[in-house]
Amino acid sequence: MNIKLQIIVAIIIIIALCVIINMIRSKRLELRYALAWLIVGMGTLILDCFPEVMIWMARKLGIASPVNMLFFFGFCFSLVIIFVLTVAVSRMSIRIKQLAQELALYEKDNEDNKI
Amino acid sequence: MKKLIIIPAFNEESNIEKTVTAIQENADGFDYVIINDCSGDRTRQICEEKGYNIINLPINLGIGGAVQTGYKYALEHGYDVAVQVDGDGQHNPEFLSIMAEHLMDKGLDMVIGSRFIEKEGFQSSKLRRVGIIFFSKLIYLLTGTKITDPTSGLRMIGRNVMALFAVDYPRDYPEPESVVAVLRRNMKVEEIPVVMKEREGGVSSISMKKSVYYMVKVTLAILIERIRKY
Repeated sequence: MNIKLQIIVAIIIIIALCVIINMIRSKRLELRYALAWLIVGMGTLILDCFPEVMIWMARKLGIASPVNMLFFFGFCFSLVIIFVLTVAVSRMSIRIKQLAQELALYEKDNEDNKI
Repeated sequence: MKKLIIIPAFNEESNIEKTVTAIQENADGFDYVIINDCSGDRTRQICEEKGYNIINLPINLGIGGAVQTGYKYALEHGYDVAVQVDGDGQHNPEFLSIMAEHLMDKGLDMVIGSRFIEKEGFQSSKLRRVGIIFFSKLIYLLTGTKITDPTSGLRMIGRNVMALFAVDYPRDYPEPESVVAVLRRNMKVEEIPVVMKEREGGVSSISMKKSVYYMVKVTLAILIERIRKY
């Protein structure tokens, strides 16, 4: 990897991190869900600044090309994030259902008591 | 003995009056409650004009979520028996008192109205019958109990099952899966023969396109229900 590409990647990552942090600051993103993205961003930044780490890791794991290792890890990480989101959606849909039911029953009792 | 009829209604403006009238005329000793699952048509207005007993859900929860609301209502208001009657006029209310008697006399937890014991009335399409027989066989294999009509929406339950369903009830296509949930807990379920009509208006919740999803989802749900822990 040449130094020009390294700098471009670093700038992109830093901008992305800034956007994420700003969104957390303005409460458009919850920290607990953004945490994974922050960690990925920082990890990538470290690998970008010190490519030797990547080469060393790939050799240790027996992967011929460091880039392949990066793709593989990136893919695995994406899957984990998507799965965690699916879990979050399931939990939320259950909670929303309960809320809606409670609200409907409460409203019903309220109206019955008015008469 | 307090008995409640739960009528889940989603866009049933053309049927709801007929359904409620049939209940008022033919189901003596039963109270009823309509669960309006956030219908987009005039279901709510019609019910309120007529002064029907109605609960309006603020968002659409699907058939399972709507019926579950009914079970919660029944539990909170001290009903001993609750039965689901679909709002589309398929279920004949005349069978309700027979079902209730059967449930009391035999001390059952659940009574299912089955179309396929005496094979009278509307028998569903051929393709659907194949699916129903498949579920019937699957449930027999997993629980050892023969349920001839596991997809029947006409089901009467006692307080034990009510408490179970109020906490945990599938969201869509709940019937076969929840029968397994009941059987698995060694509660007593029996079927009695009923005659159902073909729906008089509105559309079935299971279209041709959805039937593949239906078969896969319900089969998986039944299998998973069997290996659940609590």
